[in-house]
Amino acid sequence: MPDGTEETGIGASVRRKEDYRFLTGQGNYTDDINRPNQTYAFILRSQEAHAKITIKTDKAKKVAGVVAIFTGDDMQVGSIPCGWQVDSKDGTPMREPEHPPLAKGVVRYVGDQIAVVIATSLNAAKDAAELIDVDYSPLPVAVDLMTAANSNGKHGALVHPDLGTNLCYDWDIGDESEIDAALATSFYVTELEIRNNRLIPNAMEPRVAIGDYDKATDHYTLYTTSQNPHVIRLLMGAFVLSIPEHKLRVIAPDVGGGFGSKIFHYAEEAIVTWASHKIKRPVKWTSDRSEAFMSDAHGRDHLSLVKLGMDKTGKFTALKVNTIANMGAYLSTFASCVPTYLYATLLAGVYTTPLMYHIIFRMTNWNQG
Amino acid sequence: MAQVSLNLNGMPMECEVDENSLLSTFIREDCGLTGTHIGCDTSQCGTCVVHVNGQSIKSCTMLTLQAHGADVTTIEGIADGDDLHPMQAAFREHHGLQCGFCTAGMVMSAIDLVNHHPEPSKAEIRAYMDGNICRCTGYHNIVKAIDAAAKEMAAR
Repeated sequence: MPDGTEETGIGASVRRKEDYRFLTGQGNYTDDINRPNQTYAFILRSQEAHAKITIKTDKAKKVAGVVAIFTGDDMQVGSIPCGWQVDSKDGTPMREPEHPPLAKGVVRYVGDQIAVVIATSLNAAKDAAELIDVDYSPLPVAVDLMTAANSNGKHGALVHPDLGTNLCYDWDIGDESEIDAALATSFYVTELEIRNNRLIPNAMEPRVAIGDYDKATDHYTLYTTSQNPHVIRLLMGAFVLSIPEHKLRVIAPDVGGGFGSKIFHYAEEAIVTWASHKIKRPVKWTSDRSEAFMSDAHGRDHLSLVKLGMDKTGKFTALKVNTIANMGAYLSTFASCVPTYLYATLLAGVYTTPLMYHIIFRMTNWNQG
Repeated sequence: MAQVSLNLNGMPMECEVDENSLLSTFIREDCGLTGTHIGCDTSQCGTCVVHVNGQSIKSCTMLTLQAHGADVTTIEGIADGDDLHPMQAAFREHHGLQCGFCTAGMVMSAIDLVNHHPEPSKAEIRAYMDGNICRCTGYHNIVKAIDAAAKEMAAR
């Protein structure tokens, strides 16, 4: 048996190639990168969960060092897409809300992007952002999972009124009548309500994005804290900014932890890439920790009703799980597949496979990031 | 703007900085030593730990001007040429890192611990490292690395 003392082959202790540079301070994380003639972006975020907004930037634009300020009115680009289509059990496609990188007249969670201030220093950008006048007209909010799931606009708030419902899809896998029959004949059935709490992945390295448009070659480069640069190139290029792939390079250098949160394509990546083309200078955005809490994709937040059937010996006979999952105010790149194909298919875990299981999901959007 | 002069990893530096410049920003942006990281804006994560006059400090809690005249040591300044400091070598040997983002702060805090408490118990190591957060390792191998490095440093 391998005991860690082998010098080669299976069981041998292997030195990692990256440790020397990490231990000597020579890693190359995204925030370590600076481009010539670079500018700094600060993103003004919503303080309201749901509100109509009007924005005045005149005073902010006069601050020394400010290069440009853009809002949703300026940034007319495609919607940030969800990367995985999931159909409801009746075959209808999921309801995917429009997701502008900068809010267009309405903010839908605390942290939603309202404006980007670009300046020659980060401090100047922050000073100017304080002078942006945002007038919020608050709208009804959906902040409780069960309430949000059952809202219709008359009773309870709709996060996207144009969709007519907060329900993204109603999905299942397995045969419900078959499993109900198995549960009915099981020796013992246990029932549980399980709250799988919301969490923030909180990698040690906050997210960073640097957009660098080169006018000479009409070529874009995005440096980003990413676990998934190829998908970001596809989604941002094809769906958000309409940049052909041969003119867009996405570079993901050393990543300081992701825990899934750096798999997604984020608004800030599109904002800095687009803005770099507008001002013909590199644009760097670095999240701080407080901002990460508001703007990183969160995980879980499921409420599940579980029925587990067993025979006399305690062996599983059937598992039925009914889950309501919070998917946030907009769909992240993989919001749709996380609580379906990446969760329902794994519910039996390592245990002797239940005879069958059946899962029904009702997905809901609500006013959280 | 104000004039500041200090020794950074043994090199004399003369710079003009904003009065509100933080030492962490100065090290990263003005000096280009990016081994020192910034992971939070609340002085909690410990990725920015450096030594100022032989004491560990979270460099995001200190103004650059407060380091005027000081000896500042960062992660880039502790190896002996190509030979790793015993603490660096022990982190490598015991897999005390994965993504590497917290590592500079961990190593700098750990060296400070052993310099001031040459034979720390594992409980003392855990207590002392309270101000350094890691999300990858679960800390167990970091404690093993510091324990091993302390013994190596005592033997030298």
